[in-house]
Amino acid sequence: MTEASTHHIRFTLNGSEVSADVKANDTLLNVLREQLGYTGTKRGCETGECGACTVLVDGKAVNACLILAPKVDGRAIQTIEGLAKGAELHPLQKAFIEEGALQCGFCGPGMLMSAKALLDEIPNPTEDQVRRGISGNICRCTGYAKIVKAIMKASRQMARVGGEGA
Amino acid sequence: MSPVIGQRLPRHDAVLQVTGRSLYGEDIKMPGMLYCKVRRAGIPHARLIEVDTSAAEAIPGVMGVVTAKDVPFNAFGFTHLDQPVMAQDKIRYEGDAIAGVAATSLEVADQAAKAIKIKYEELPAVFDPLEAMKPDAPKVHKDNIPTHFTVVHGDIEKGFAEADKIIEERYTTQFVEHVHIEPHAQLAYYDPTGRLTVWTTVQRPFLVASDLGKVLKMPLSKIRVLTPCIGGGFGGKNEMTTEAIVALLSMKTGRPVKLVFTREEEFTATTVRHPYVMFYKTGVKMDGTITAREVKIISDAGAYVSWGESTLTKALVHAAGPYRIPNVRIEAYLVYTNNNIGGAMRGFGVPQAGYAYECHTDSVARAIGMDPMEFRMKNCVVSGDTLPTGQTLQNATLDEILKKLSSMSGWKVAGGDGR
Ligand code: FES
Ligand code: FES
Repeated sequence: MTEASTHHIRFTLNGSEVSADVKANDTLLNVLREQLGYTGTKRGCETGECGACTVLVDGKAVNACLILAPKVDGRAIQTIEGLAKGAELHPLQKAFIEEGALQCGFCGPGMLMSAKALLDEIPNPTEDQVRRGISGNICRCTGYAKIVKAIMKASRQMARVGGEGA
Repeated sequence: MSPVIGQRLPRHDAVLQVTGRSLYGEDIKMPGMLYCKVRRAGIPHARLIEVDTSAAEAIPGVMGVVTAKDVPFNAFGFTHLDQPVMAQDKIRYEGDAIAGVAATSLEVADQAAKAIKIKYEELPAVFDPLEAMKPDAPKVHKDNIPTHFTVVHGDIEKGFAEADKIIEERYTTQFVEHVHIEPHAQLAYYDPTGRLTVWTTVQRPFLVASDLGKVLKMPLSKIRVLTPCIGGGFGGKNEMTTEAIVALLSMKTGRPVKLVFTREEEFTATTVRHPYVMFYKTGVKMDGTITAREVKIISDAGAYVSWGESTLTKALVHAAGPYRIPNVRIEAYLVYTNNNIGGAMRGFGVPQAGYAYECHTDSVARAIGMDPMEFRMKNCVVSGDTLPTGQTLQNATLDEILKKLSSMSGWKVAGGDGR
């Protein structure tokens, strides 16, 4: 086995500057979970199928299992740990709780980050746009009806308070 | 108004879930933890001659390797002690564990698992349970039929003799993998006082504890099995898998050892829903009276019984359907093959049978030109009826449910027959 080269990278993680020494073949998912201790982002397949590892890179939803860590040098990463503002939950988080949109909860972090990317881009999505927005995230327990309902509800609530909380 | 019943209450752990703070199997870590990989057989049927771990052990970073030789009592199973922790002298399906490796990194563990040499003599394999029932079929175990049940009620010959029409059909169902989004994850620590703690993603921690006690020959007072949040199970996390391997590696190295299944292992080395082959034969009179039903169910157990017997008994009890049938004969066979192990999955054998008897009920109704809903209303069991297994029903409400369903769905308005 040939040793992969090491890279020193810096990026912002939920608004804070972080740095890490990563191997060329390390995924962002591994660096988040194993090196930085951010286990909120989940690993379901490591092949870009399930969406459990979804995080935002410069505001876009990506599968952290498919992006190599050296690629995020200098970029802004948002994970589920940064979705709430302290104790104040994001409207999406509140709506997921109110609508009972999670059962086992394992898809939740990825689902919520995909939903956030969607609402940041399209504040008032149609149901169809919501379904497309989470089409990269698989939920095996809850089914999608309650998840879609929760995202629609959050978008209405955010519109009411004038986009606050985003 | 009740403070609970009929109210929508949030889950007690909902805030943890939406903030990413729920701890699932893979999220649990310990200082000094080693990483485990399991070497799988990769072939469906073979005589295992030798497992050579020397090349794996020579790789820097490998702290321990275990094989069947290290297992104090190498057999477990809920009803049949037919499954080894690691294959001993025979490989019975591709997912059979051959050896376990603990190393300082996942990459090294993976490299070492691949470096293990397996010497085997391939045997002809059998993947079709009907083939496996034949006397000259390859033998997965000594006898390919570990369990067989029969239910007899009334006089089946007389029942068929009274029928105006006899309808015979064959139904099959397929393998289903649970695909819980969270893969199996296990962390074992055998501490210096001789106590074993295992965190594992199972739905039955106490069954795993007792199985660990048996295979490791350890008293239960020394074993603690803890379950973190489970990222979906659906029956797929209902039994011991590789916890004993991880535990043995911790005993050998004195370090905590962690194993997380790959998605590929989830498909190739964990349980699935049993595929069933079901033969249905029903005698009916032109007025819609059912006179006899004969059912034969063949369940593909895969390589080991696991929950095969338990799920089959459930299917057996339901197999005649919720209909008044005076003469019934049901036969059910569990059959070993070199396929994935069948286990528990939502409904535990009943969905397979339900699919067959309800489709068959439609066919029988159509064969005599009767509306399938009317046919069901005429034949459905009511309180006081006795099922083929001898159970007398109390508070049966199927007739009311059918009536309600019929009116709610606009069955008659749509012209009946539901097609
Ligand atoms: S773990 Fe990244 S998509 Fe499944
Ligand atoms: S709640 Fe379990 S996978 Fe979505």
